[in-house]
Amino acid sequence: MTLHLRMAKPDGQAVTRVSAGSGGLVVTPREVTVRWRLSRHSRRLLTVALLALLLAVLSRRPELAGVAAPALLLLAAGLPRQARPARVSVLVKPGATRLFEGEPGWVDIGLGDDGAAAGGPAGLAGFDARWAFQPGKGIEPASATAVSAATARFEFTIPRWGKRRAGLAELQLHDRWRLTEGRAVVPLPSLDVYPRPGIQEETVTLSRLPSRLGEHVARVPGEGAEFAGLREYVPGDRQRQINWPASTRRGRLMVNTFAAERSQDVVLIVDATSDVGEPGTSALDYALRGAAAAARAYLGRRDRVGVITYQWGSAGWLAPSLGRRQVYKIIDSMLQADATWTQGASFARLPRAALPPGALVVAFSPLLDQRFVESLRDLRERGFALLVVDVLNVSPPARRLALPRGTDTLARKVWQMEQQAIRFSLRELGVPVVHWNGTAPLDLPLAPYTRRPLVVRR
Amino acid sequence: MNRAGPRIAAVLLGVACVAWPAVPVLSTGWPWLALIVAAASVAFSGLRMALLDVPEPEEAYFLSLPGRAWRSFLTAVRLPPWEEIGGAFVLWLEVLHPSRPWHTAILGIVLIAWLLTVHIAESDAPAAGLLRRQARVLVPGLCLLALAAGASALPAVSPGAGAEALEVLAAAAVIAAAILVLPG
Repeated sequence: MTLHLRMAKPDGQAVTRVSAGSGGLVVTPREVTVRWRLSRHSRRLLTVALLALLLAVLSRRPELAGVAAPALLLLAAGLPRQARPARVSVLVKPGATRLFEGEPGWVDIGLGDDGAAAGGPAGLAGFDARWAFQPGKGIEPASATAVSAATARFEFTIPRWGKRRAGLAELQLHDRWRLTEGRAVVPLPSLDVYPRPGIQEETVTLSRLPSRLGEHVARVPGEGAEFAGLREYVPGDRQRQINWPASTRRGRLMVNTFAAERSQDVVLIVDATSDVGEPGTSALDYALRGAAAAARAYLGRRDRVGVITYQWGSAGWLAPSLGRRQVYKIIDSMLQADATWTQGASFARLPRAALPPGALVVAFSPLLDQRFVESLRDLRERGFALLVVDVLNVSPPARRLALPRGTDTLARKVWQMEQQAIRFSLRELGVPVVHWNGTAPLDLPLAPYTRRPLVVRR
Repeated sequence: MNRAGPRIAAVLLGVACVAWPAVPVLSTGWPWLALIVAAASVAFSGLRMALLDVPEPEEAYFLSLPGRAWRSFLTAVRLPPWEEIGGAFVLWLEVLHPSRPWHTAILGIVLIAWLLTVHIAESDAPAAGLLRRQARVLVPGLCLLALAAGASALPAVSPGAGAEALEVLAAAAVIAAAILVLPG
């Protein structure tokens, strides 16, 4: 089975449909243990009946024994005499195990064939089934959370990226008079929720491209389709390259020259060292969405794209590669990002394979961590073409009640100046820093750099 | 209204259960305590049914103070067996009540009706279907209740505690016989 994932614009309009090739969702029946007990209703009837009998004996009033009669008769006649199954077979089938943020998902759940239940399994004839959905953390139900049937479909949405547990499904079996009930808890599968990619159509191209066939127009002549200029004919040139109007004007044979078409290596760096802002619109959310958009855009231009995720204590990385599968590999790699702080942690030295020479490095960062900024400077000094997308969209709160009047304003100003200084120092090193608000297309802040090749001073 | 109907009916029947043995209030046997506990149980039972569809706040590492308070309140309303507590104290009130046997019989009917209505309200089971299936058991049960009330209304053959105890044993024996006779 092929899993289709829909990528949507922020306004919800679908723009692309891609196939993630999940390799098929195998659904196998699962045995779960059922715990049987008296229902709340029968416990109430039993309590009232026993108490009425006790009071009848103590107070020697037979009419109180009569009060117990209906309850006792209901219990005696209603309790099931058939064997209650200790285990039942359950089928759990998620609609998809990989979703994008906000994309509707669902899970189908039902009783297996061994029990043609309440409407279904043979072993459970005489029992009614009811499914209740207990959503996991960060899961928002989008349908009824309880269904009285042998099978149920629970729909949900997941507003934020990450590896999420869908939650639990509780199976409740009860007899025809609901005097006994069996409960079983079925854990639902984990889901990979991908950050919703931003929108990026244009790409930044380096002025010096490695000699590898691709789609970017290089400055050197080659066999591409882009017209580069004219030169005089030399023996060996192909006749079809002769530009006859130019030859007529100049009185000698002129041939067209074309630009070479090359591909480039792109390394995306995601700064997961600090996650500031409201969940869903935090700096890390924007960094991941921006990196996902960039990965799609560059891979769409046949570039080799890799990713490095900086975080406290370590850095996850994926070597540059080609192809659509690489988008999912990159996002999977980024999902490992953890913004938790580790004392005494330091960045590990990156392996050589993560940063091929001459690669374009695009960093998505709020630039709050000084060590990350230092590593960006280091990369620049090593000669990499670097572009920083600043995803910081929050600032410290304007007023803290605990502070004396004016102190908070001063601290805020100092902080803002520090941030400006960090960005200024990077620009001074020749590193373009663009600010992205997380909602507009990435093409807007990147426009000055996508219109012409990015020249790198080494 | 479809779901509110049984809930409102359950609250009204609960109130009737408490009010019936509570009037007139006596001064011996701590009737005030029994009345307060029974009334509180019925009130919390009604509250629990009113909040049946309200989801619990999601488990969070740091839940706000109102969130924690709301969560604790929901747990306090949902966890205790309010109907059992209410039923027990209603029976206590009835024992204290200087009533005739028919008074107890009517209380028995209202009590069973309350418990059934609470069950229908919280399980969302179709009331008509459920009651139709249980009618063949409820009718003999109510007949036994009437029989027990009638038997206690008859004057005892001989005065003394022994005769009264025999009457209770006879009522219990009739119930046991009915349970054995009734087909499952």
